[in-house]
Amino acid sequence: MDTHILRALYEAEHGVSGADLCRRLGVSRTAVWARIEALRALGYDIAANPHEGYRLLQSPDALFAPDLRARLNPSAILGRDIRVLDRTESTNDAVQQLAGEGHAEGLVVFAETQTQGRGRLGRHWASARGKGLWFSVLLRPTMAPSETTQLTAAAATALVRALHAETGLALNIKWPNDILIRDCKVAGILTELNADLDHVRHIVLGMGINVSHSPSDFPVELRAQAISLRQAAGKPVHRASLAAAVLRELDRDYRRILARDFDSVSEEWESHCSTLGREVAISQGPRTLRGRAEALDPSGALLLRTEHGRLERITGGDVQLIKN
Amino acid sequence: MDLKDIKAILDLMKKNSVSEFEMEQGDFKVRLKRDGAAQAKAEYSPEPAQWIQPRVVAAAPAPGPSMPRAESPSLHAVGAEIKSPMIGTFYRRPSPDAPIFADVGTQVESETVVCIIEAMKVMNEIKAETRGVITEVLVADAKPVEYGQPLFRVQPN
Repeated sequence: MDTHILRALYEAEHGVSGADLCRRLGVSRTAVWARIEALRALGYDIAANPHEGYRLLQSPDALFAPDLRARLNPSAILGRDIRVLDRTESTNDAVQQLAGEGHAEGLVVFAETQTQGRGRLGRHWASARGKGLWFSVLLRPTMAPSETTQLTAAAATALVRALHAETGLALNIKWPNDILIRDCKVAGILTELNADLDHVRHIVLGMGINVSHSPSDFPVELRAQAISLRQAAGKPVHRASLAAAVLRELDRDYRRILARDFDSVSEEWESHCSTLGREVAISQGPRTLRGRAEALDPSGALLLRTEHGRLERITGGDVQLIKN
Repeated sequence: MDLKDIKAILDLMKKNSVSEFEMEQGDFKVRLKRDGAAQAKAEYSPEPAQWIQPRVVAAAPAPGPSMPRAESPSLHAVGAEIKSPMIGTFYRRPSPDAPIFADVGTQVESETVVCIIEAMKVMNEIKAETRGVITEVLVADAKPVEYGQPLFRVQPN
């Protein structure tokens, strides 16, 4: 019911009458009034007057599942089921477990903090409580495992659009899908695939977005390389509004991939990929390749002109931009 | 000798139930072999394509003692193979300081994770999909792999 009330409030420019809400929800005036009071207690600033009815003036900077759902199109795949945990080891693990229990795609799990948030190859991801968006999405696309790399690109383009729309900031992509402001990391994506040789069972797309951190909210060793949207924009960024924007854009790109329209995703991805033309060092386990990132191949792999003049096709590893 | 000649020889071998043929002519060497399975199938579709493993071997200038030979796969008892479902980078451990997932001698079940294949930050935990003991690790840690490339050999049990 909270989702319906909030959706009605978001849709109504000039307020929505109590009678209207009763009709839409099929409940009594008293029941509507009780829910409005409950929302007010959660921090929603809802005005009420006899002429305009109820009007939402401000929503709290909190992650509240019914609110997030109210901000999304009811027909969206992503966000059909949204859960907000106060704390968990890792949202990817939480979604992996629900996936194993047979949960449908579109599930999104957020956490206010993660005790063991992780990046690539078990690297720690700092998830300061309430300062960011730490969440994972469950997808079950009908595709071959080799095609899932398209989702890497799609997740990056969706993040760039959503973050830009909410903040106006200029963002770019470090291959394959770190989101940077200048050369500092503002968001990261970790995709975990569960597949057999020919088909995907499920995919967990995990994202971490630094939203409201001040420098001291980052661990000391990250301060030179990490940045939050608030730091870069110089103003607060509303997390729920941003979360909904990211889910909407992800839904759009996921549909583009399902419709076999990787070309348009890929074009957008490449246009934001600031790694191209840069000198980079790529470490793969014990070996490190150095050279110039020349181009992306049609599958999205990075073509590296090594210091020895060879062209290497890179599909994995840790990319480090070398300062010009 | 060209493909037409080889086809003619294969036809003659079939007609006369000859199972092996070897010929050397200067630098050129050809060895053709039919096996039981191919013979049985040949009754249904007798095109030359049914003749498995005709292998033309150009002799090296200084041939060593072991020439590549066309061998029947049945000679190897390879057990099962765990293959890569995608192009990517092969990792034997979940993180650089963690223990390896599986090694020679590890007993695996179908759900046991044996390695990670990474392609553009999609991390694919590869499961054994079979019950058995790992007898060989076929790729070194952090090396690139191709689609379908065997990663481990498993003796089912």
